[in-house]
Order: sequence, then structure tokens, then C-alpha cells
Amino acid sequence: MKNFSNRYIFLYITVLVVIIAFLLSLATITLQPYQKANRETEKMRQILTAAGYKEVPKSEVQPLFEKVCQKRETPSNKESYDIVCFDQSSGIVIPVNGKGLWGPIWGYVVLADDHSTIKGVFFAHKSETPGLGGEISTEKFCSSFEGKKIFDENGQFVSVKVVKGGVLNSTINPIHGVDAISGGTVTSQGVEEMLYRCLKEEE
Amino acid sequence: MKYLGPLNKENPILVQTLGVCSALAVTAQLKPAVVMMLSVTVVCACANFIISLIRNTIPPRIRIIVQLLIAAALVILVDQVLQAFFYDISKMLSVFVGLIITNCILMGRLEAFALSHPPIPSFFDGIFNGLGYGLVLVVVAVFRELLGSGSLWNYPVIPESVYQAGYMNNGLMILPPMALIMIGGLIWIQKSKS
Repeated sequence: MKNFSNRYIFLYITVLVVIIAFLLSLATITLQPYQKANRETEKMRQILTAAGYKEVPKSEVQPLFEKVCQKRETPSNKESYDIVCFDQSSGIVIPVNGKGLWGPIWGYVVLADDHSTIKGVFFAHKSETPGLGGEISTEKFCSSFEGKKIFDENGQFVSVKVVKGGVLNSTINPIHGVDAISGGTVTSQGVEEMLYRCLKEEE
Repeated sequence: MKYLGPLNKENPILVQTLGVCSALAVTAQLKPAVVMMLSVTVVCACANFIISLIRNTIPPRIRIIVQLLIAAALVILVDQVLQAFFYDISKMLSVFVGLIITNCILMGRLEAFALSHPPIPSFFDGIFNGLGYGLVLVVVAVFRELLGSGSLWNYPVIPESVYQAGYMNNGLMILPPMALIMIGGLIWIQKSKS
């Protein structure tokens, strides 16, 4: 084994770190525009999915989004969009975000013109367990929200509950609840909390 | 074929018992398992190649730090490229990137092989160790997704009529303990074979 002086070791590691830092910064800066475009396309695709446009090819996402969707001007400056849904009715897109078991969860809720009936939702998550909490992003779970109402007949805000053990076995009116995911209790609670907090501002 | 050892008698998971942590985490479904196999293979091969190229200049006292630097830089680079050009895959992989850096197989091969062998053999050593690791992931993932979710590659394969006849998915399959039991079983089979 060769002997290396302390000077060599310090010099070696310094040069190596500088080279690697330079390469990584270079990569990050050159790739940033692509990554940003990807994230924006992904967001548009999620909003379109919530509004009923399923499986839009990547190249058509942006033109379609610009055609059917428009950012709303609200006094509170909260992000929301006007959208023409797949069935040609108009709706409002409200972004929601909250906490799952392992990390953030987020999504988009499309409300009908009455500000109460849910036309569609899209949920996504960063790191929920596949097959358990991760099921919130499946079409099966998302489609169970369609037609639910977030206000009761007296105009009181009730949001949509995510009910453990099934909404039909509980005392909650089925128009205000969906079935939770078995094995995904904490994530289901996260979805419920996220909807309550983010939709409450629609009052 | 002297490089083929990792696929069988020198398998990193089954014989050397390395990389088990990530093997438990990514095998609930087939798709992340395959993506993980490809990423580990690429990172392992490239890191082996680079370390082997500079092996004679690395001071032995800081060799682990140098190995870690190279491996971490490669993983970040792979992640950035995936985010830019393969966004869908990168979304799936995001959780597991950290696991690649800390993957014992990667460090183990750098230390045991790349430091003492020329670049080209090191490169192939990395490839086959990545594949040997991936082979176990895929086998475990196929069973876990099939029995736990009734699907493969996210496509349902167990017909609806079977469910109506009373069949149920086994929830335990999706949880990490079942992966440990399955890998234990595979190690048993491997040991009794050789």
C-alpha cells in the first residue's frame, strides 16, 4: 500500500469535491427548464384528470389545458381555476393539500356551479405505502367522490368524510361520505382533514 | 463466465445478505422493483468504473469518503436526469433515491472489487451485481403484488369472478414483514441448493 502525505490527501479531497460540486451544479442548471416544464405539465394533467379528461397524451396536455381552463381572479388571491369539464359543464377547480402518513398528499377538487357538488377529484401523494395509503391516487378511490356534496340541505358546511368501515355502515349521510381505505387509516384521515380545511374556505 | 456469480452463488442479497433494507421497501409492487433494479445497476456499474479508473490515486485512509462522494454524486445525477427526461419514472423512484446511496451492495463492490481491478471488469462486475440484486427484487415483487393486490405491473390479473367466489387479497403480503419472510425463504432455498 502506497503512502500518501497529509498534504496530498487534503489536496485530493478538495479537488475532488470541487469537481463534483461543479458537475452537479452544471447538471442542475442545464436540466432545470426541462424539470420545471415537466412539473407544470404534470399539474395541468392532474387538474384535467379531476375534471374528467382521462389519459390525455403528454403532448396535448398544455393546449387542452389552455383551451378549457382559466385562472380565477379572487380577492383573497387563493389559487383556483374555472374549467369546462369533459361533459361540457362548467366547474371550479380548488387545489387541496395536506399530510398523509409518510409525507405530503395533495390534489384538485372540481366543484359544480352550485359550489357544493363534487364533479371529480384527483389525489396524489409523495410517499404513501403502495397498496395501502397509496391507493388514494387510484381511480377507484377518486371516483367514489363523484356526486358527493360538501354542504348539507341547510347550507351548512360538512365537507366529505372518509369513513372507516364503510359509509353505509355508519350514521353519516352517504351524500357526505366515502369509504376509507382498509390498511390506510392515517392516509384516509389525512384526506378527510385536507378536504375539510381546504374546502371550508369556499363558504 | 466469471462475472455471472452474483446471479447465483454470489448473489448479493441471498448469499452476502446485503441490500436487504431496500429490498423490503420497494417490492410491494413490480414496477418500482424493476425501476430500482435498473437504477442500482446503472449507478453500481458507473461508480465501479470511475473508482477503478482513479483507484491508484486514492489515498487509502480516505477511500471510503471518496467512494461515498462518487456514489452520491452519481445518484443525484441520475435523479436529475430522470426528473428532466423520464418524469413518470422519477416520481416513482423519488422515495428510493436515498436508498441507493446507502445500498451496501454499491459500497461493498467498490471496496471489494473496484479498488483492486481494472475499469472494464469492474464495470461488468457492477452490472451483474445490480442484476443479481434486481433478480431477487423481481421474484419477491411478483409474489407480493400478485397475492397482495391481485395485479401485476398495476394490471389486474386475478379475474373478478374469483373474488366473487370468495377469494381475498392477502393484506399481509403488502407489508414489509412478509418481504422479510419471503427473502428468508429464498435464502433457505439458495442455501439448500449449494
